[in-house]
Amino acid sequence: MVTMTESGAGAPAKELVSLADTADLYATATGLMERSAAAFASGVPEGARDDGFFGPASVTWRMSTDLASPVAGLRSLLMQALHPLAMAGVDQHSGWRRDPVGRLAATSAYLTTVIFGERAAARQAAAQVRRIHDHVRGADAVTGRMYAASDPSLLLWVHGALVDSVLAAGSLVGTALSAADSNRYVAEMVTAAEITGVPRHLVPSSVPELDLYIASVRPTLRCTPAAAESMAYLLDPPGMDVETAEIWQDVRHAAIAALPRWARQMYGYDAVPPVTPGRRTEIRQSLGVLDAMFLGQPGVLEARQRITLRMRGGQRA
Amino acid sequence: MKLIRLLAAVLAGAATLVWFRRRPGRLRLDRAWAALRLAARGGARYTASAPRLFAAAGEQRQLLREDLALRTAEDVADTLGSMKGVMMKIGQMASYVDDGLSPAVRHTLARLQDSVPPMSPRLAAAVVEEELGVPPERAFARWDPRPIAAASIGQVHRAVTLDGRAVAVKVQYPGISETIAADLRNVALLRRMLRIAAPAQDVDALLSELRDRIGEELDYRREASNQRLLAAYYNGHPTIRIPGVVSELSTRRLLTSELSSGARFAELATWPQHERDLAAETIYRFVFRSLYDVRAFNGDPHPGNYLFQRGGQVTFLDFGLVRHFSPGELQPLIHMARTICVEHDPEAFRLSLEDAGFLRRGAPLSTQAIVEHMAVFYDTIREPGPVTITSDYASSVVRRFFDLRSPVADYISVPRPYVVLQRINLGLFAVLGELAATADWRAISEEIWPFVQGPAATPMGEAEAVWRARHHATPGPARLAA
Repeated sequence: MVTMTESGAGAPAKELVSLADTADLYATATGLMERSAAAFASGVPEGARDDGFFGPASVTWRMSTDLASPVAGLRSLLMQALHPLAMAGVDQHSGWRRDPVGRLAATSAYLTTVIFGERAAARQAAAQVRRIHDHVRGADAVTGRMYAASDPSLLLWVHGALVDSVLAAGSLVGTALSAADSNRYVAEMVTAAEITGVPRHLVPSSVPELDLYIASVRPTLRCTPAAAESMAYLLDPPGMDVETAEIWQDVRHAAIAALPRWARQMYGYDAVPPVTPGRRTEIRQSLGVLDAMFLGQPGVLEARQRITLRMRGGQRA
Repeated sequence: MKLIRLLAAVLAGAATLVWFRRRPGRLRLDRAWAALRLAARGGARYTASAPRLFAAAGEQRQLLREDLALRTAEDVADTLGSMKGVMMKIGQMASYVDDGLSPAVRHTLARLQDSVPPMSPRLAAAVVEEELGVPPERAFARWDPRPIAAASIGQVHRAVTLDGRAVAVKVQYPGISETIAADLRNVALLRRMLRIAAPAQDVDALLSELRDRIGEELDYRREASNQRLLAAYYNGHPTIRIPGVVSELSTRRLLTSELSSGARFAELATWPQHERDLAAETIYRFVFRSLYDVRAFNGDPHPGNYLFQRGGQVTFLDFGLVRHFSPGELQPLIHMARTICVEHDPEAFRLSLEDAGFLRRGAPLSTQAIVEHMAVFYDTIREPGPVTITSDYASSVVRRFFDLRSPVADYISVPRPYVVLQRINLGLFAVLGELAATADWRAISEEIWPFVQGPAATPMGEAEAVWRARHHATPGPARLAA
C-alpha cells in the first residue's frame, strides 16, 4: 500500500530525482524478501496482550495470510499509483528510487503491525505515519494541483485500493470470499483507514459502498509519467536473478489481470491474456514457490505458527 | 553436467563390485560359531511393544506438534500444495547430489520440511475410513490416533490388527496425490526451481528423474509391492529384516506393515565399533544383494530408514523409491566390471563403457586416462583385507565426481536407467563413512558378485550362505530374473 511514509525522520522534504539519475539506483532491488520477512517476523507479536484491531477470528487475518497476498500487494500499488496526487506525494517525497526495497519493506512492516500487532503498537505505527504525512505536501507536476499527504481523500484512495485489491486478487488466484465475508472484510478494514486519519463515516464499509467509492474517484485517475515509471520498475524489478524474475512474471500477470479493465487501459496493458483455470494453477504454483522462499527467511515460520495457533484459539472462542 | 559425472563415477564404483576372481576360502571356527549366534537371533524378528518404534524417512517433522496439526484437506493443500510438497521432495533428493546446493537454499528446504505438521487424529482417521470403508477403530483391534512418525507425504500410526498383529500404518495426506501430480506437470516452473536450487546440476536429468520418482511415491501400492518382493526374498536372512506387508490393510493411500523395533541411527553411533561394523556390513550386503540378486535398488539409503539391533541386525524401512533393472540394464554394469577388473583389459573396458552409453564414442582421450579417472572409486575393494570407510573417503568420492577439470569428465554421461544409482551409492558411502565402518569389503563383494560367488568372507557371510542354501537353493545370480 502506498502510504506516503518516509523511511526515516528528517528526510529531504522535496527531493526530486530526475530520470537520468535513477539508473544505478535501480540496481538495489535485492533483499526485498529478506527485509519484508524481518518486518513480518517482528510485526507478529509473541505473547500478545490483546488481539489488536482485527483479531484471530477476523476475515482480515485470514486474507492477510493468503497465498494471493503478493498479487494483492502489487495490484494495490498499481491502483494507488493511478491517483496523480497520491503518486506525486510518493514520487516527490518517499525516496523510492534511492531505496525502493526499503520503501516497500516499510510499507509491509506497517501493514503487518496494523493487522497483527497489539492495539498500542498499531496506533503507534499509525501515529508515526501521520507525523510523516504532515510534512508531505507539494504540487503535482502534471496537474499543477496542490496536495497534502494528510488529506483524508488521498488516504482514503490508498485504503480503498488496498481493500479492493485484496478481494480481487483473492477471487482471481487466492481464496475467494463469500459475499458475506467480503462485506465483513471491507467493514473490518474501516479501522485501518481510521487510524491513519480518515473520519470513519467517510470509509466504505461494504462491497457495494466500496464499488461506488472507486467509481466516484475514477474520473480523477490517470497514468502520470511518475506512475508509469514506478510501476514499470515494480513489474520488472532490476537486480532479480533470472529465475526469480520468471516467477515474478506470474505474479505480475495475475496483478494486472485482476485490475479493472479501465485501469489496465490507463497503463496500456489491454493485451494481457485472461487467467484461465490452467494459468490460475500455474500462478498459484509460482506463488507457492515464493511463499516457500519467504518461509525460509528467519522467523517467518515461527510468526506464521503464532498466527495459526491464535486463529485456532479464535475459532474455539 | 556435474550430476551426470557424479552418476558415472558412483556407478563405476558399483560396477567394480563385480571385480575380483574367487580367492581361496578362509573358514575359521570362530566365524562359524558367530554365524550360529547370528542365525539364532533371526528368530526374534518383531518386537511389538518397544517404545522406540518406527523411524520413517528420518524426518522429525515439528516434533509432530499436535497444536498445529492439519485438520482439513484444505489445510493439507495450503501446506503441501502449490509446489511446496514437490519442493520438499526436491530437497530430499538434492541432499543426495549435494555440492551445487547453496546454504541458503538448503536452509529454505529444511524450513519447508519443518513447516509441515502432522494430520489431526480426525483427519488421519478420515483417510483410513475412505480407504478401508470403516473407521480405524473398526478396521483395527487397536488404533493409536497419535502419529508416531512422519513420512514424506504421510505419517505413521501404530495399530494392532484384528488378528492381533502389531503394525505400523502409513497414512497418506488427503488430496496430496492429486496436487503433487498437477504440480509435476508444470515443467517450466520445476526447471526454474531446480536452476535456483542447484544451478550447477544437469537440470533436465534431475528433472525427469524427480518427476518419475515422486510420481511413483504417490501410490503406496507400488511401495507395498516393492516391500513384499524384498521381504519375500530376504525372508529368513540372518541379519537383513524387511517388515512384511499386511496386504488386506494396504491401499493406494495406506501402507500397513508389521511393526519393527530397534535403535535409531544416532543411537547406533554410540554402540561399540564392532557393532557398527556389523550393521554396516548388513547394509552393504543388502544394497548389493538387492542389486545383483533381485535386480532392485532401494533409492533411499537414508539413516532414518534403518532400525538397528545388536549383532548386525538391520531393519530396512521405506521402499517408496525402488528402481528395478531389467537383465539388459544390469548387463552393462557387469560387463564393464568384468573387462576392467577380472579380465584386466582396458580397451575392452573402454568399449563396454561406450556400448553402455557412459562414454562418448571416439572421445579424444587415451584409454589409460579413462581407466585412471575411474580408479579412485575402487579404493575400498581394490585390495583384499580390512578397509575403513571414513567420512573423508565418502567426501573424496563425491569431490572426484565433481572434478570438472578432468579432461575425461566432458565425455562421460549417465544413461537414464542408471540415474538413480547415484542416490544409492552416495547415500551408502555417506552412511558407511558416518559409521567409520571397517570390513574386508572386497571379500564381501566377491561373495556377492554373480560371476565370482566367492566363499563366505565373514561370520555374517557364512550365516548368509546357510540362508541362501535354504531359501535360494539354485546358486548363481539373478534367480528372480525373468
